[in-house]
Amino acid sequence: MLRFLLRRSLGALAILLLISAVTFFLFYAIPRNPALLACGKGVCTQEQLAVVEHNLGIDKPIPQQYWEYMVGIFAGREFPAGSCPAPCLGFSFRDNRPVLDTILDRLPTTLSLAAGGVVVFLVLGLGFGMVAAWRRGTLTDRTVSSTSLVLSSAQIYFLGPLALALLVYNNQILSQPGYFPITEGPGAWFAGLLLPWLVLSTIFTAQYTRLSRAALIEQLQEDHVRTARAKGMGRRTVFFRYAWRGSLIPIVTVLGIDMGSLIGGAMITEQTFALPGLGRLAVDSVTQSNLPMLMGVMLFAALMIVVFNIIVDACYALIDPRVRLA
Amino acid sequence: MQVDPAGGTEMSIATKPAEPALVGRSPGQLMWRRFRRDRIGVVSALVVAFFFLIGLLAPVISALYGKDPYTRYGQIQPGLLNEYGYPIKPNGGMDGEFWFGLEPSTGRDVFTELLYGIRTSLFIALAVTVLAVLTAIVLGIAAGYLGGVWDFLISRLTDLLMAFPQQLFFVAFLPITTSLFVDPREETPVWIKVVSIIVVLWALGWMTLGRILRGVTLSLREREFVEAAKVSGASPWRIIRKELLPNTVSPILVQATYMLPSFVTTAAALSFLGVGITEPTPDWGRMFATAAAVYRSDITYMFFPGVSLVIFVVAFNLLGDAVRDAFDPKTVR
Repeated sequence: MLRFLLRRSLGALAILLLISAVTFFLFYAIPRNPALLACGKGVCTQEQLAVVEHNLGIDKPIPQQYWEYMVGIFAGREFPAGSCPAPCLGFSFRDNRPVLDTILDRLPTTLSLAAGGVVVFLVLGLGFGMVAAWRRGTLTDRTVSSTSLVLSSAQIYFLGPLALALLVYNNQILSQPGYFPITEGPGAWFAGLLLPWLVLSTIFTAQYTRLSRAALIEQLQEDHVRTARAKGMGRRTVFFRYAWRGSLIPIVTVLGIDMGSLIGGAMITEQTFALPGLGRLAVDSVTQSNLPMLMGVMLFAALMIVVFNIIVDACYALIDPRVRLA
Repeated sequence: MQVDPAGGTEMSIATKPAEPALVGRSPGQLMWRRFRRDRIGVVSALVVAFFFLIGLLAPVISALYGKDPYTRYGQIQPGLLNEYGYPIKPNGGMDGEFWFGLEPSTGRDVFTELLYGIRTSLFIALAVTVLAVLTAIVLGIAAGYLGGVWDFLISRLTDLLMAFPQQLFFVAFLPITTSLFVDPREETPVWIKVVSIIVVLWALGWMTLGRILRGVTLSLREREFVEAAKVSGASPWRIIRKELLPNTVSPILVQATYMLPSFVTTAAALSFLGVGITEPTPDWGRMFATAAAVYRSDITYMFFPGVSLVIFVVAFNLLGDAVRDAFDPKTVR
């Protein structure tokens, strides 16, 4: 296990290094002038441009800039506008603050959104999938399958405003969504996130229902399942102990991808419900052309994806004893 | 998944003298026959075709209908919008003249806006799908067939691109791709925005199919018919073209039918987030951005783009399942 973790962490580090290099190069090398991007349409004079260029550090050659960025991650950096302590992912000149501080401020919102959503859609999705596979071909199965097909094709930017209009503004069934830290009161935290969770998990539940039904049905046709049945093992035991366990492999794979991208910022959900999370931060940074911030968010999101990849691979070994780590 | 290239004809030669009723069919014909018997598949194919037809004929339809998606009817004609810019008539201003109602504040015709919006979205998604499939074919088959250094390089590139946070990548790199073409200080023409969206979606859109094709090629490379071609002196190019490519048709078609709707919804999401297509170009996704701003007072505006998008995606996913089943009758539903 330790060797597996070590080996995978090194691989992850390599990937992150590459991603940071590619992102950095694209951000700072390809656009004609990132200072112009940061300035907006025809706002800056030539002198202001020079100041922005110096602040962004782009008056130096690109490889040197990248080297300084990398060193900054491990040793911290000093900027004319302020200091940026050790894991320095960059310094935002919009609000004169290290990028990491802002990311950490926004993280609890995204984490709350993702955690609640994942719990709901995993329980419901796997549950519905199991019911549909158990009663395959019956009316129950067809109802569950067709409902989940339609719902999995719905988009958050359609369902979200619809749910807001129906449940919040027109009927006042739920309270206005928003983020309130759990430390200041779990009640407000829960009420504020209830609707985003519901909308997010409606679509994901539908997708996981389809996924888990398909995986279960495939597992039920496997030879070892048939053997177990032929030997006289009960249908229920075979279903739960053999087929269900095997069906978890594809689900864990997809879940890992989804978790990684959700924690990296559920952009559309956060935008729809005006939640100040990482996804919202990314969108705002794009509209403000805040490149250091974007770079930081990008690296953080990539880190999440890589970390969840490793977790998924470790989970394979838990589910399937044939898989050996290291 | 795989189709034996000579299977159909061999069978027919072997069985023809004994049983004249048996007709030799190519794998493509077999697939087509199975597909035609799948009623859900045929219906969803028709629905999908209908959407493409709408997109293609948008100018014709709107000419017949007598309106265009740019004119601000509500601002020209009095009595359509109230003082806050919302349609006066109920249900978003739907009537015999404006079938799907009016857009709040601008007063544009929703029907033509949606027609042209579908046109824009489908054009983008189709272009991305074609580019992504071509890239996947070239890189996937190169990695699988050439092996060695090429396989290593292409596979690592695939790994790297797959580790990129997708949505974030799109959102972050769209303005940068745009700035490749135009100076950020100038107004961006619409076609450059469209090209940027296509480029960005394409960059991260080909990897899944590329991996599948690499795997398929790897297993096909060792098959007897490829060896036979090699022994009889066929060039690598000929082997790829005549022996390998025909056998990759099924994964390509299946994946492409799953890819296209996902590109439609991703491009729509970008417009929703405000980095994709912007005013005044009609776009399916941009309509959701407008809808998100006005839904508290006029929910009807969201109805038609939303429902049509759900129908489109459902039909396309069902079509994808049907195509997969037609190619591979062994899969269970």
